[in-house]
Amino acid sequence: MIDINERFSEKKNFFNRLIFVYIFFACLFLYFIYKTFSLQVSSFTDYEIASLKNKTREVLIQPRRGIIYDRNGEIIVNNVPSYNLIINPSEINDLDSTLSNIKKIIDLSDLEIKNAQDNFSLKKKLNRELILKTNLTNEEIAKFEVRKYRYPNLFIAERYSRKNMYPYLFSHSVGYVGSINEEDLQDILSSQDLKPRETIFKYSNGYLKGKTGLENIYDKQLRGFFGKRIYEVDANGRFLEEKETIDSIDGKDIYTSLDLTAQQVSFNELNNRRGAVVAVNLENGGILSYVSSPSFSVNDITNGLSQKEFNKLLNDDDKPFFDRAGQGRYSPASTIKPAIGLFGLEKDLIDWQYTIDDIGFFVLPEDGRIYRGWRKDGHGIINLQDAIIESSNTFFFSLAYQTEVNELVKYLSNFGFGKNICLDCFYPDKGLLPSPTWKMNTHNFGWFKGDTVNLGVGQGYLSATPLQLAYYSSFLANKGSLNNFSFVQNNKDVIRNNFMTNNINDVDWKKIHESMIGVIENPKGTASRLKNLKEYIIAAKSGTVELVSTETKEDYKIIRETEGNRDHAIIIAFGPMPNPKYAVSVVIENGESGGSVAGPVAIAVLNSLIKE
Amino acid sequence: MKKIIDSLKTGIYFDHYLFISITILSLMGLVFLYSASDGNTTTVIKQSFFVIFGLILMFIVSQPDPDFYKNNSLIFLIFSIILILLTLLVGKEVNGAKRWLDLGFFTLQSSEIVKIALPVFLAAYLYDKTLPISLLNTLVTLVLIFVVANFVRIQPDLGTSLVILIAGIYVLFLAGLSWRFIGVSSGIFILSLPFIWNNFLEPFQRQRILTLLDPTADPFGSGWNITQSKIAIGSGGLQGKGYQMGSQAHLDFLPETETDFIFSVIAEEFGFIGVCILLSIFFFILLRCLYLALNARDRFCRLTIGGLSLLFLSTIFINLAMVIGIIPVVGMPLPFISKGGSSLLSFYLAFGIVISMATHKKLMQK
Repeated sequence: MIDINERFSEKKNFFNRLIFVYIFFACLFLYFIYKTFSLQVSSFTDYEIASLKNKTREVLIQPRRGIIYDRNGEIIVNNVPSYNLIINPSEINDLDSTLSNIKKIIDLSDLEIKNAQDNFSLKKKLNRELILKTNLTNEEIAKFEVRKYRYPNLFIAERYSRKNMYPYLFSHSVGYVGSINEEDLQDILSSQDLKPRETIFKYSNGYLKGKTGLENIYDKQLRGFFGKRIYEVDANGRFLEEKETIDSIDGKDIYTSLDLTAQQVSFNELNNRRGAVVAVNLENGGILSYVSSPSFSVNDITNGLSQKEFNKLLNDDDKPFFDRAGQGRYSPASTIKPAIGLFGLEKDLIDWQYTIDDIGFFVLPEDGRIYRGWRKDGHGIINLQDAIIESSNTFFFSLAYQTEVNELVKYLSNFGFGKNICLDCFYPDKGLLPSPTWKMNTHNFGWFKGDTVNLGVGQGYLSATPLQLAYYSSFLANKGSLNNFSFVQNNKDVIRNNFMTNNINDVDWKKIHESMIGVIENPKGTASRLKNLKEYIIAAKSGTVELVSTETKEDYKIIRETEGNRDHAIIIAFGPMPNPKYAVSVVIENGESGGSVAGPVAIAVLNSLIKE
Repeated sequence: MKKIIDSLKTGIYFDHYLFISITILSLMGLVFLYSASDGNTTTVIKQSFFVIFGLILMFIVSQPDPDFYKNNSLIFLIFSIILILLTLLVGKEVNGAKRWLDLGFFTLQSSEIVKIALPVFLAAYLYDKTLPISLLNTLVTLVLIFVVANFVRIQPDLGTSLVILIAGIYVLFLAGLSWRFIGVSSGIFILSLPFIWNNFLEPFQRQRILTLLDPTADPFGSGWNITQSKIAIGSGGLQGKGYQMGSQAHLDFLPETETDFIFSVIAEEFGFIGVCILLSIFFFILLRCLYLALNARDRFCRLTIGGLSLLFLSTIFINLAMVIGIIPVVGMPLPFISKGGSSLLSFYLAFGIVISMATHKKLMQK
């Protein structure tokens, strides 16, 4: 036992120790209260936001894409409603019996049933809709509507499909939309200050993006702005309550300069031959017709094509995906001659009275090399006007021979060669405007005088797209003053290009026009066969692109056995004269004769445009 | 008449300060639990039964003389250790832990009983030992504490075993553990920390400690609970979001709202003001215990009151420190508030013993 003194000291000892522990814990609790205070009072705002962020979930609402019209208000691309069959899993307990009930009125494929079974429990947990079947037929919709009261958890929702009303006509001009990858989505959403999130789709195909043509170039305008819907969610992400909706803003409609009728005429006239037509409104540079042939259905591409069908298109020898109008490179051939003539006038190398004796070929003085014309015996004594009408090669060989090549190249770029002349075309090719520097850099070879001579008849290295040829045609028609091309009406970015000249006057332009009218009207004209087709006075210049160089007609007959060796047919034309409103360029690959093969297409397109 | 009341008063052992404050706390607990359980009336009714039964138990337990506990403490301890061993053998397994004995009408968490029995036994064992406590007695006591705590640890129930460990050590400390021993053993403890880390902690327990150091490292994995709990507490602000309005609690962001994280629910719905009110009731009880311990009739009573009140204090602190992210998540209920019959009853039991110790005066002092 312990005595009194010891008991007293024990009590004191106990007292001290207990107080010590209490004080120790008092300090800990003070720290705890300080921590709680700093959470609840000092950093309250941060945690309030965190808590709010926890329980709210933003869902994006897809905007509807803008509609694309032709210049007369005809709809080219529209959003066509399609109907999906949807259930609300959180209100359904037995999926299988629900499905077998539905199957009594609407047929469901094994794949659709499997898809429903696979996703049911997740969608139920999250309180999301489950799409059972897409693209219901009218019959299915009708069947459902009548029996709707029997299926309280089943409903039909409208979703759009992007549809081109003329799926083959506008494949290369308007282009198509397609689905989107993660990176694109991120870019699109971040441009609208949004982040990728769950989305309420307006389109059955989900996110869309313009892949080619105007759908791509004007994607931003057409796209519109995503809306938002804010839900209260629990920790599992289950939707509990809709809090707020900010509606999406539909994309802007686009009124193009394209002309449905002209487009149809171009397409029908090309008739699946490999080639291209570009027609332009001279007044504003608006592109009226833009066809590359053969074509493909953009709706098939957008709404899903089997890999096999896609590969078939991709591997087609005629390359339907290739945009010949904007990306195909062709030698301008004889169509270049008016421009060469203008250069001769500009530099005072020739005048309208200047003649040469065309004996059927031109001999290059330097090495005696012979450059042949298309007519074996030549055109005799010939001036500039007749040289254009009859397309004398010798005249332009000798004219080109007299030029300084760098000056000539610079002059030709005025006409749109070697540069992009379109404001909103989808990756237009610049063609090739060769120069001595270019040749040295790419071929590591010096420029021969013969190269300049070839340039004089649009052969050799020079190449241009049908789009550029249309520009060239328009530039001639408009006497050297022209807007950059555009696919849309009232394009704000439009640039007026004016011809840099000191020496070409209105008389010269008129004579150029007269010469080009003569190509059709004059019996000697290379396209005089078109005289009976045309309904208005049309100025034109045809060309025939030699793919294989031959000395004689007999040689050509041998090589033309292979279709791919045959000459390309080219024509540029504008009308009605004397005050032209429209210009056109036509290329038909391996069509052989510019005048008689490409010519009728050009005339048909111009006729239809002028008639309108 | 007055005589009858007086005789009743002297015959009944009752501390109205503790009784009233604990009753208030229990009733507040029911109110909080109703919200934390998302309005589950079954849970609240079940808990109410425990509260009523617990208050009656507390009253009954406070009637016997402290000598009763002193003389029978060994029996109580053996009995509670048998319960623990039974649990290890035939206990009900939930989530990989065997902590419960199924008694048919009630599943008993046996560690909650030994949590009370051990400090009482240690007080009875040490009250007549000379000061300072001899090395032999110290070691005997420590071995006992560690053996009991380890029985609970292997269930596994780290939280409760930790509480048993510190409750035992409190009694030893208050009984007069020599400072020299404290100094040497804490030195050894600190040096053996890496050994404990590698050999005594389960991987998930290590993960919890690492999470504590940087909860943002893995906010959706093991840091989730702490992060969400902090958001719940922080977003409560000064006044709280209102009763049953806590979005963190009701939208399932907060885990274990009825048990370990019930404080976060309270803090979210009642704010800093609510937290302060709750804490002040706890403080009142603790200060009352301190007063009673200092005025207890003998050394056994002092040690028992001191040990049990520190047990109560530590439990509160571990729970609060856990939900606010000061210490790792160990699974510790908030006394009188969290759901769970065993824990609730163990504290009624503890306070019943405290009241008994405080209200029975020695006959010779009368």
